[in-house]
Amino acid sequence: MNLGIKGPDGGPIPPDSPLARALALPPEAPLSAGFADRVVAAAEARPVPLPKLRRGSGWRAGRRLAIGLAGIAALASAAAATGLLRQLAVPVPSAGTVWAHLSGTAKSAPAKAAKRAPVETPAAPAKVEIEESIDTPEELAEAFRRADTLRADRRAERLRIIDQRIAGEIERRSAAGLRVPSAQEVARLRERIAAAEALREQRADARVAARREVLQRKVEAGEAITREDFAAPPRGLRDLPEASAAFERLRRVPPRERRAALQAMPAEERGAVLEEFRTLRAALNPPTTPPSPEAQPKSGD
Amino acid sequence: MTAAGLHLPSAPDAAASGSDATQIQRLAARDAGVLRRVVDVHAARLHRIAWRMTGDAAEAEDIVQEALLRLWDLAPAMAARYPAGSRRAADIRLGGWLQRVVTNLSIDRLRRIRRLSGTDVPERMDDAPLADAVAEACEEGARARALIAALPERQRAAIVLTYYEELPNAEAAAALDMNLKAFESLLHRARAALRLAFAVQEGCR
Repeated sequence: MNLGIKGPDGGPIPPDSPLARALALPPEAPLSAGFADRVVAAAEARPVPLPKLRRGSGWRAGRRLAIGLAGIAALASAAAATGLLRQLAVPVPSAGTVWAHLSGTAKSAPAKAAKRAPVETPAAPAKVEIEESIDTPEELAEAFRRADTLRADRRAERLRIIDQRIAGEIERRSAAGLRVPSAQEVARLRERIAAAEALREQRADARVAARREVLQRKVEAGEAITREDFAAPPRGLRDLPEASAAFERLRRVPPRERRAALQAMPAEERGAVLEEFRTLRAALNPPTTPPSPEAQPKSGD
Repeated sequence: MTAAGLHLPSAPDAAASGSDATQIQRLAARDAGVLRRVVDVHAARLHRIAWRMTGDAAEAEDIVQEALLRLWDLAPAMAARYPAGSRRAADIRLGGWLQRVVTNLSIDRLRRIRRLSGTDVPERMDDAPLADAVAEACEEGARARALIAALPERQRAAIVLTYYEELPNAEAAAALDMNLKAFESLLHRARAALRLAFAVQEGCR
């Protein structure tokens, strides 16, 4: 008999108590004959249990994820390869850029300079493709038309970058808590920029007109204009002496670095380079044009 | 009932614990001879529990058969969960698992009968025996059965397992899927209700 919790009401039931006698049951009915046979027969007749449901395990979910990622990567690669992303203005980094970022070998300064390059040099010069030599006025006119289109695009790009830089500077100053130029100041700045741009265009137009006269005369004389002729520098530059290595090196770097390099030069070398610079400016400007103050070397440009 | 819950604190019985794992492995391999041996070893006790719970020998036989067939169905899963030779397999108590299945099936049958009887389900379980059960107990020859039948299902199971089957409290608690403290409380209430019913019965006599 089990001994459980003792208590006045819930304690164990003594074997010889009236309650124990009342609880006495007659012997239980035995299992019916052939019970074991029936159980075994029923067991053997049961269908084979179905395998467990294959609920998504970690690997199965991971495999689906991997397949999905691979599919997305394939679609993205196909879109990049077909130029679709470029049409949608989505930047696609080159494999070298991606690898440089992944391996940590990307140089921050050159990357920054490369990023700013379009700002410093307003528009990357897209070459006008001339497949064969130009030897008819029609072909020359077509070449001029393409050049004009390119120049217009470059000018629009320059103006767009100027606007972008002005807006960016205003935003930067606003975020830094600095004084933000007023609308009048911005308007004056834009006027100065427009004036400089107009002067620049005027000089460029003069150079282009002079160059085109030369080219037209060559075509009229029956000469074929080659690619080199079309892209040749203005006549004045051909008369210049060979540019020094220091001058070439300075000419290819941004203005800020150019100023720093000039200041770091010995006095003699700096004087030679500046003289070379003045010679170049004088050759580029028509002899009748009075020397402009911008030609002074104080700016270092 | 699933393959879990095989670790019942059962005393070694006819089916030695060491051989229980082997029996499950052979049941998983669809060895009908092993099932027959399990029936021979456990069926009588299982039938006794079910009969004392339900009061119906035929119903008890159905319950035992269903429990054994569940064992047959779940044997592959059990064999995979408790591979032979492992430490977990050494703790398997097949008899305890079958007792738990039979107890739960008996409780389910009793509850189904109560639902089908059309009586309203009380908001709170009344531990006191019902009047008709007590009145029935006044009839000669059915006193014990009436006393047991007057108890709620789980209290009835507690009395059957500990008083009639003389199982240790821990094993009876495992068969009812309860912790020991809760089972002891249940057993205490069951005995109290039994005594109250017995007192009423005596008053009728």
